[in-house]
Amino acid sequence: MSRPWFSPTPVIQGRIHRTTLLVTVALLLLLMRFWYLQILEGRYYATLSIHNRLRLRLVEAPRGFILDRSGAVIVENRPSFSVYVTPADIPDVDEAARAIGAVLRQAPEEIAARIRAGQARPAYPVLVAREVSEPTMVAIEERKMNLPGVSVRVQPTRAYLDGDVAAHLLGYVSEVTQEQLYRDEYRDFQSGETVGQTGVERLFDAFVRGINGREEIEVDARGRLVRFLDRLEPQSGFNLVLTLDAKLQHAAEKAFAGKRGAVVAMHPQTGEILAWVSRPSYDPNLFAQRLSRESWEKLITDPAHPLQNRPLQAQYAPGSILKLVVMAAGLDTGALTPGTTFACPGYFTLGAVTFDDWEKGGHGRQDLMQAVAHSCNVYFYQAALKTGIDAIARVAREFGLGQKTGIAAVGDEAAGLVPTPAWKRSVLGESWYPGDTVITGIGQGMILVTPLQIVTMVAAIANGGTLHRPWMVKRVESWGGEVVAAYGPEPVRRVNLSPQVLELLRQGMLGVVEDGTGKAARVRGVQVAGKTGTAQVVRKEARISGQTKDHGWFVAFAPYTDPEIAIVVIAENAGFGGVVAAPVARAVLEAAFGPPRGRETVAQGPGARE
Amino acid sequence: MYLDRRMLANIDWRIAGTTLALIGVGILTIWSANLGSPSPPRQTLYLRQALYAALALLGLLTATFINYRTIARFAYVIFGVVLALLILVSVAGEVGRGAQRWIQVGGWTFQPSEFMKLALIVVLARYFEDHKERLGHPRLLVIPAMVALPPMVLILKQPDLGTAVLLGLLTVSVLLLVGLRVKHLVFLTAAGATMAPLLWSFLKDYQRRRVLVFLNPELDPSGAGYHIAQSKIAVGSGEFFGKGLKAASQSQLHFLPASQTDFILAVLAEQWGFIGCLVILLLYYVLITRGLEIAGESKDIFGALLAFGIMAMITVQLVVNVGMVVGIMPVVGIPLPLLSYGGSSLVVTCIGIGLVMSVHLRRFLY
Repeated sequence: MSRPWFSPTPVIQGRIHRTTLLVTVALLLLLMRFWYLQILEGRYYATLSIHNRLRLRLVEAPRGFILDRSGAVIVENRPSFSVYVTPADIPDVDEAARAIGAVLRQAPEEIAARIRAGQARPAYPVLVAREVSEPTMVAIEERKMNLPGVSVRVQPTRAYLDGDVAAHLLGYVSEVTQEQLYRDEYRDFQSGETVGQTGVERLFDAFVRGINGREEIEVDARGRLVRFLDRLEPQSGFNLVLTLDAKLQHAAEKAFAGKRGAVVAMHPQTGEILAWVSRPSYDPNLFAQRLSRESWEKLITDPAHPLQNRPLQAQYAPGSILKLVVMAAGLDTGALTPGTTFACPGYFTLGAVTFDDWEKGGHGRQDLMQAVAHSCNVYFYQAALKTGIDAIARVAREFGLGQKTGIAAVGDEAAGLVPTPAWKRSVLGESWYPGDTVITGIGQGMILVTPLQIVTMVAAIANGGTLHRPWMVKRVESWGGEVVAAYGPEPVRRVNLSPQVLELLRQGMLGVVEDGTGKAARVRGVQVAGKTGTAQVVRKEARISGQTKDHGWFVAFAPYTDPEIAIVVIAENAGFGGVVAAPVARAVLEAAFGPPRGRETVAQGPGARE
Repeated sequence: MYLDRRMLANIDWRIAGTTLALIGVGILTIWSANLGSPSPPRQTLYLRQALYAALALLGLLTATFINYRTIARFAYVIFGVVLALLILVSVAGEVGRGAQRWIQVGGWTFQPSEFMKLALIVVLARYFEDHKERLGHPRLLVIPAMVALPPMVLILKQPDLGTAVLLGLLTVSVLLLVGLRVKHLVFLTAAGATMAPLLWSFLKDYQRRRVLVFLNPELDPSGAGYHIAQSKIAVGSGEFFGKGLKAASQSQLHFLPASQTDFILAVLAEQWGFIGCLVILLLYYVLITRGLEIAGESKDIFGALLAFGIMAMITVQLVVNVGMVVGIMPVVGIPLPLLSYGGSSLVVTCIGIGLVMSVHLRRFLY
């Protein structure tokens, strides 16, 4: 050990002593400052604190824009007038509420309640009305003397340029609610602030909302502005670039007009959402402008459930779409080969029960490819029996059915249901009958799927077996175009099926469009592969909705080699999928690949797009 | 960890007592500042602070009974680890920045920048101990300045100007202790000034904007910044005896911004008046002067610099924060040590105090 140190160095010790002296002086100076403020000037500040005339008001930051994948603006902001009341400047709440209510033509009770809610922070103005009209503005200015504490300000209001288009994916914004203010995650929010409530607006709220600024002002005894003291400029939020393709979205919305149900288009190689239609829809602009109570009641009591995000939350029987799963399971276990034939006389009898085909006279003897192309029920009754429910259920789960896709979304994603004998025994307490297998073979019975699960499955078939988690925001960008955050494909897993089986599925789907039930989806110049489906509306469901017509399904991917789009269409209570859903898919595929509308093009061969 | 009765008997109760008192006052003030808040999560903030305090005291005890020579041995490792964490935050935090509120829903976030204060003190102390024969040599002062720069840049980029400036002041005060002359200081300042444009060029567009907005209140020429004005009203209206816990209208009515973090002293001054402020400053005075005494009594350079650096950290934060609250210094986001709401700051300060006590405990032992 080295020589023991009894002190570092006398020099340093001396400096430490001098530091002590310095600290003493510094603290004495601070104490003198306290003496000055609290004793010498104390009375003055005490008076100021009683008549505190400084006001701090929020300057809301404009939210970032939302753009489609090519940069087209879908959501922006536009200026609108808002009316605020500062509780500290109001002598009598009820009287003030009456006066304000008379000018705004609003119920005074509601205004009084808003002001009272803001009384805990009396220096902060409370928002009482948004989207005030020009004449009302004039009326307020005229009566300013009788309206203490009232101020009008211009604020950015969210504008959804295409109204109800893609509303469920975009979401909407509204004022932060009282219930939200009570929650920990909204601790930093103030009453009246705008916040994303659903969809992308909510999911990416932290990026889009920006940073609010504030204004420091001095007011007179009636709460009127005397002068500005300081202003901290708000910083607008970041822009979102979606994976959505506005062209496809519009084509889908147009083709689906008047129908109920869902359309989702996805890029099969990446899982990017290209189009997202949920109908009936709603206009998110109404929420941004503050929805009236009646409009809200109307939205939530509408039997067609316009607020439901159908691709994510609606569960349907898959109908004949499930034949793809049965086919894959049969091929995988060896129960079926492309050469396996069954006869179809138009019905199939199992014990005492007869199961019909949708074609009265039957399809005759068919092999697997023909049966898929013509969606022969009788063939698949027998194929399902031969394959067995366990293999079918296993492959269904392999394709992601019966489980959430895991998409980042607001609102509960439905998981669907893949029934198995074990499930039926434990949940319903009944045994599994061969008849259950038979109807599961054509996607009826207890099985339930969501449109999003189905498009994810179709994408996996198209891309050679990779199940992707769907996603819809590509990038978060600053106004200068700098990338703040970027997102990419999220493969969930590879489907455990051989490449040969997947290839046969694709060939089968090609046959459906080229020469089967899906001819309505043919697009000139592009090879389309698809599958039709028709889900019977069961009696219980029909009794509730009063609708007895079947749901029409159609799924597709295109181009056949090197697919760029996978799509699902479901039209509720509309009839045969090949008739009602396939044309919708065609319209979307035409928008993506087909010749420009209204103009004959000369050479539009398969390679013309490249 | 080595413990015996002589060490226990040598625990410095002046330091321990003032620390506990200040933490207690902090919790009480956070509780009362949010009494009238309409938001239930805010009303229970003081409970969270109590939890942080328990954690911080655990850190204090651990640091006290660790032989600080062990800290000296691992000084460079400690600095490296904290620096790596800072880099991690700047890389991973890039994505999470805009989404901070989104990701840290109610949870506790770890701030490496706070721990960097201690790490920097430790590494500087070790460096000068290694070169104790040539203390005061000008060349010895350049390397430490270079060591302090990377963390300062990283923290500035976060952007957290307050902590970055604090690190700078810390470095300067340690350098002054080991023999930095005023003319060297001028040289270093000039060097720093030439670095500034380079630093600026590192920042992204929106970050620059944030830094500018951050700087704005300081540059306010009218001096009529809302924060300062309201804070002065709160402090002044407390007069001699204060308004009492519940009658403090400035803080109750939420005229005061950041009433439980940076401006907590304004709440306290309104509630307890000049008497309260006097007591608080006295507590800090006892804590700091005792800490400096311990630095002077240390048997080695590392212990002396460690204790001195930690006391410098507390003093600078105290003076800057109080100066801001009474309106004689610009608004930079620096919390009041031991009193302000916030977990990382409290834990770091307490660990620091524990280290000072460790230096004290081992002044005779070897």
